[in-house]
Amino acid sequence: MSGQSLDPVVRGVLGKIPVPRCATYSSFLDAQGQAIDRGIALFFPAPHSYTGEDVVELQGHGGPAVLQLLLQRCLELGARLAQPGEFTRRAFLNDKLDLAQAESVADLIDATTAQAARSAMRSLQGEFSRAIRSLVEKMIALRMLVEAMLDFPEEEIPMPDVVQRDAQLGALHEELEQILRLAQQGCLLREGAHIVLAGKPNVGKSSLLNCLSGEEVALVSETPGTTRDVIRQAIQIAGVPLHIMDTAGLRASQDVVEQMGIARARSTLQKADLILILLDTTDGIGPEDRKILDELPPDTPRLLIHNKIDLLDQPARIEQPGKECHLYLSAKTGAGLELLRDKLLALMGWHQEAGVFMARERHIRALLAAQEHLQRAAGESARAEFFAEELRLAQEQLNSITGEFTADDLLGEIFSRFCIGK
Amino acid sequence: MDFPKHFDVIVVGGGHAGTEAALAAARMGRATLLLTHNIETLGLMSCNPSIGGIGKGHLVKEVDALGGVMATAADAAGIQFRILNASKGPAVRATRAQADRALYKQAIRERLENQPNLWLFQQAVDDLLVENDRVSGVVTQLGLRFAARTVVLTAGTFLSGLIHIGQASYQAGRAGDPPSLSLARRLREFHLPAGRLKTGTPPRIDGRSVNYSEMVEQPGDTPVPVFSFLGQAQQHPQQLPCWVTHTNRRTHDIIRGGLDRSPLFTGVIEGVGPRYCPSIEDKITRFADKESHQIFLEPEGLHTHEIYPNGISTSLPFDVQLELVRSIRGLENAHITRSGYAIEYDYFDPCGLKHSLETRAIRGLFFAGQINGTTGYEEAAAQGLLAGINAALLAREQESWYPRRDEAYLGVMVDDLIMRGVSEPYRMFTSRAEYRLQLREDNADLRLTETGRCLGVVDDARWQAFEQKREAIIREQERLKSVWVNPRMLVQEDIERVLGKGLEREYSLYELLRRPDVGYAELMTLPGAGDPVEDVAVAGQVEIQAKYSGYIERQREEIARHEQYESMALPAVMDYRTVRGLSVEVQQKLNRHMPETVGQAARISGITPAAISLLLVHLKRGFQNARRA
Repeated sequence: MSGQSLDPVVRGVLGKIPVPRCATYSSFLDAQGQAIDRGIALFFPAPHSYTGEDVVELQGHGGPAVLQLLLQRCLELGARLAQPGEFTRRAFLNDKLDLAQAESVADLIDATTAQAARSAMRSLQGEFSRAIRSLVEKMIALRMLVEAMLDFPEEEIPMPDVVQRDAQLGALHEELEQILRLAQQGCLLREGAHIVLAGKPNVGKSSLLNCLSGEEVALVSETPGTTRDVIRQAIQIAGVPLHIMDTAGLRASQDVVEQMGIARARSTLQKADLILILLDTTDGIGPEDRKILDELPPDTPRLLIHNKIDLLDQPARIEQPGKECHLYLSAKTGAGLELLRDKLLALMGWHQEAGVFMARERHIRALLAAQEHLQRAAGESARAEFFAEELRLAQEQLNSITGEFTADDLLGEIFSRFCIGK
Repeated sequence: MDFPKHFDVIVVGGGHAGTEAALAAARMGRATLLLTHNIETLGLMSCNPSIGGIGKGHLVKEVDALGGVMATAADAAGIQFRILNASKGPAVRATRAQADRALYKQAIRERLENQPNLWLFQQAVDDLLVENDRVSGVVTQLGLRFAARTVVLTAGTFLSGLIHIGQASYQAGRAGDPPSLSLARRLREFHLPAGRLKTGTPPRIDGRSVNYSEMVEQPGDTPVPVFSFLGQAQQHPQQLPCWVTHTNRRTHDIIRGGLDRSPLFTGVIEGVGPRYCPSIEDKITRFADKESHQIFLEPEGLHTHEIYPNGISTSLPFDVQLELVRSIRGLENAHITRSGYAIEYDYFDPCGLKHSLETRAIRGLFFAGQINGTTGYEEAAAQGLLAGINAALLAREQESWYPRRDEAYLGVMVDDLIMRGVSEPYRMFTSRAEYRLQLREDNADLRLTETGRCLGVVDDARWQAFEQKREAIIREQERLKSVWVNPRMLVQEDIERVLGKGLEREYSLYELLRRPDVGYAELMTLPGAGDPVEDVAVAGQVEIQAKYSGYIERQREEIARHEQYESMALPAVMDYRTVRGLSVEVQQKLNRHMPETVGQAARISGITPAAISLLLVHLKRGFQNARRA
C-alpha cells in the first residue's frame, strides 16, 4: 500500500504502526478485531520508499480466500486498488524516477534473465534510439530530395529520378529491417518463445521435456497416453527464456480424459511459436505421423525430432533433405541435446549479436508501421506527393518510438505496463 | 492636435500586410484608418514583380477565400500566368503571376479608396500611445494624435532600415523612401525582443538594351489561369513572356574580384539573410563548384521597359554590378536603371505574439508582415488579413480567430512563427505543412470562405458564388455515388477504354473515380453515366476529392489524435520554473513562448517529448491538488 497517510489503514489492519524498515510479525485483523491471518509487515515512511510516499507491505500466507479477506479489510479502511502501473507512476510523480528510468525499470522487472537485464541497460543508454536516429537521418535525406522536387520545380537542382529514389528507398527499407530484427530479439528475450512438443503417443515427448529442463517435471512411462493435460515448463537456453509445453500424444482414443487432453494439445498447437514433432527413429515416419504432420498449423515453424537413436546406435545429427529439418537425438542418453538447444535458438531468430535491443511491442509496432509506409511509398513512386506523404508518416512512426508528440499515449502505455511489482 | 475621429482600428503601413489588414477590418464594419508615409506607394511591389508560386500561391488563394484583395489585384495586373507543378498532384500545384507594377498598385489603390469604413491618411508614424500596457493610438511626425482601440503595425523593412551598396550605406525604408527611425527607437523602449534581418534586390535593367535573341523564351500557360475565386481570364491585360539566361565563369570571376568590397563579406551587414534567396555573391561562394546560375528576366510592366533580373540580387558596389550584368549572355550592352542593394531592418521576435498576431506585451497592438520576420508579399498579405480580422474582433471585445495547421497555410505560418521563432526571413513552402494533401489551392474556398462569412470579411457576391459551387459539388458527388455501373450492361470495349481493364462486379461511378488512372471526363463518356457537370471547377473538385479521399481520411485521423493536445489549454500566465524535472533550457523556452495549449508547447523547437510528459504530469498533479484542496 502506498499513500500520503496510511495511518488509519495500518492501525486498522495491524492495530499499531510498525517500526520503520523492520520486519514486524503481526496479526492482520478484521473489523471485529479477529485475526484474518498472521504475517510480516514492513513499513517505509515517506520519502524513503519506492513511491516517495508512505509504503506498507503485508506478507501473508497464500490462498485466495485469506488474501481476499485481507484485501477487503484494507478497502473498507479507505484504500483502493491500484491502477496498473500506479506505484511507478507515483514514484515518477514524486521524482523518484525519470521517464526514461520508468520505462527501463519496466523492462528490468520484466527481464527474467541476466542477459535481458543487460540488454535493458543498453536500451536505457540509448543504443536503440541511436539506431532509430540514424535511420531517421537517412529518411530525412531521401525526403529532402523528394520535397525539393515538390517545392522547387524551377530550380536547377539535381532531381532524383524514379530509379534513384527507389534505390534509396530500398536501402532505407533494409536498414529498417535490420533494426526490426534486433528489436524482435529483444522482444524474444522479454517474452520468451512458446515451444510445443507434439507427436503420437509414446515417442518420448515427456522424456525430452524432462531432459531439456533437467527436472522430472513430466511423468514418464511405457504406457502410451501417460500425459493427459498440457504440462508447461519454463527453461533458459543461453539466457533466452523458452516456454516448453508437453502435450498429450495425438491419436484416436476412446478414453474420455485422454480425448480432452488431445483437444487441449491441438488448441495449444495453434498458439505455438515453434512445434517440435517427435518421431520414434525405430519406427521411421509412419502413416500416423504423416497424419499429425498434415494437421499441424501450416504457417508455424516446425522441427522433426527423431528420438531414440540410442536404440539404433546412430549418431546425433541434423539433416535437411528438403524443406523440413530433421534432428536425430536420444532423450534417454542426452545425445544430440546440444544440437537441439542451438537449433532452437536459431529457429527462434536468436543471434548472439552485440546490439540486441530491449524492445517493447510498442517499438515493434511502430517499426512495422513505418515499414508498411515505406512499402506503400514504393507503390506511389509515380505520385510524388503521396510518396512524400508516406515517407512523412513512416518518419513519424519512428519518432513515436522516442515519443515525439504522442507523449500522453506514451505515458499511458508505460504506466499501464507497470502491473508487476510495486 | 488630437484628431477628432476615434477609430476602431488603425493600420500603420500601406504595403501588402497593411492594405489587407485595413481592408479586412473595414469589411467587418470597423471604423478603420490606414496611415502611410506616402499614399502614392500603397500596394507597391518593392521587390520582384510577381505574385504567388509554390506555397505562396496557396496563401494568396486563402487570402482570396477570406475576401482579401491580393488575388483580384493579380488578376487585374497579371501579364503572365503559370501553374507550377502542373504535372504533379493537385496539392503541390500553385499559381504564379508576373504583375505589371503600375496596374497592381492601381488595383489596390482603387479597392482601398472605394472601401466603406476605411479612411486613408498620409503621414509617417513616430510613436505609439500606450496606457497601462494597452495601446490607445498613434502619434504622427507632425504630432497628430490618432486614438484607436487597436493598432496594427506593418512597418515592413522600414524600422531602422539601412541600405547597403558596396561599402556605401545609408538609412532608408527602401530605395527612395525614408526609414522609420523614431518609431523603431520607441518600439525598442517597450523591450520587445528584437533582431536584425537582411534582404536584397537585384539591379533593374532597361529592356531596350537586352538582346533577347540570346535567351530562352518562357511563355505563360494556355489556357491562362486565374487567381481569384471570382476572377476571369478576360480581366487579364495583355500577356508577356519571361526570358531565361545564365551566369558564367567570367561572371563568377568578376564577383569574386569584388568580394573585398562586399558588405556581406566584409562583415558590415549583421542581419541574417534568407538561405533560400541568397545574393549572387552568396551563391557563388557557397556553391563554388557550380559553373552557372540561371536568371529569369521578368518584365516590370506593359508600359515600362524596365526588367527585373530575378537571380542576381546583390549588394556589391555599382561598378561590379555593371560588369557582372554585362558578362551575362544577352546582357552584354545592358543599361542598369537602378542599382541592386541589400537592406537591413528591425524585426520583432514573433515568439512574443499570440496566434491572433496581437503582441503579448501590449494589449491591442498587432504586428503583421516583415516586422514578424517573414519575407514575401504573400506571407505579409496573409498576416495582414489575420491581424486586421483580429484587431477588428478585439475592438469589439470579441474572441480572436486563427486557423489551425490543418485548416490553412496561414495557420501553419502563424504557428511556425510563434512556436518556433525565426532565424532567417520566413518563407512559405508546402513542405512546412504536415497536412499538405488537404491544404490545396483548389479547396482554399471550401476551407475558409464559410468562416470568413461568419467573421464578416466575405461579401454577398462571393458568398453566393461559393454556396452555388459547394452545392454543385455535393450534388454531383451524391449523383456519382448513386449511379451504378454493371459490367453486364455495358460493352466490354467501353469499359476497357475508360477504365483500362474489365470490371469484376458492379461499382458506383464514385468508386470508379477514386481509381488513380480514371479521370472524370472519360468516366462521363461511359454509356449511362449521365450528364457531366459543366463547371470545370466543380468537376475538378469532385475528382480531386475522390482521388484524395483515402489519404485525407488518414490525415483526419492524425488530426483527431492531436486534437486532444490542441484543445488542452495551458494557463495564460505560468512560471515554468515551477515544473519539476524540466531542464533550465526548456523552462526558459516555455517562459519565452507562453504556449496557449499543450499542442503548441510540443511544437516549440527543443521541447522534448519527455518535457511534454513532465508538463502533463505537472498539470495533472496541479488538478489533483486543486481537487484535494
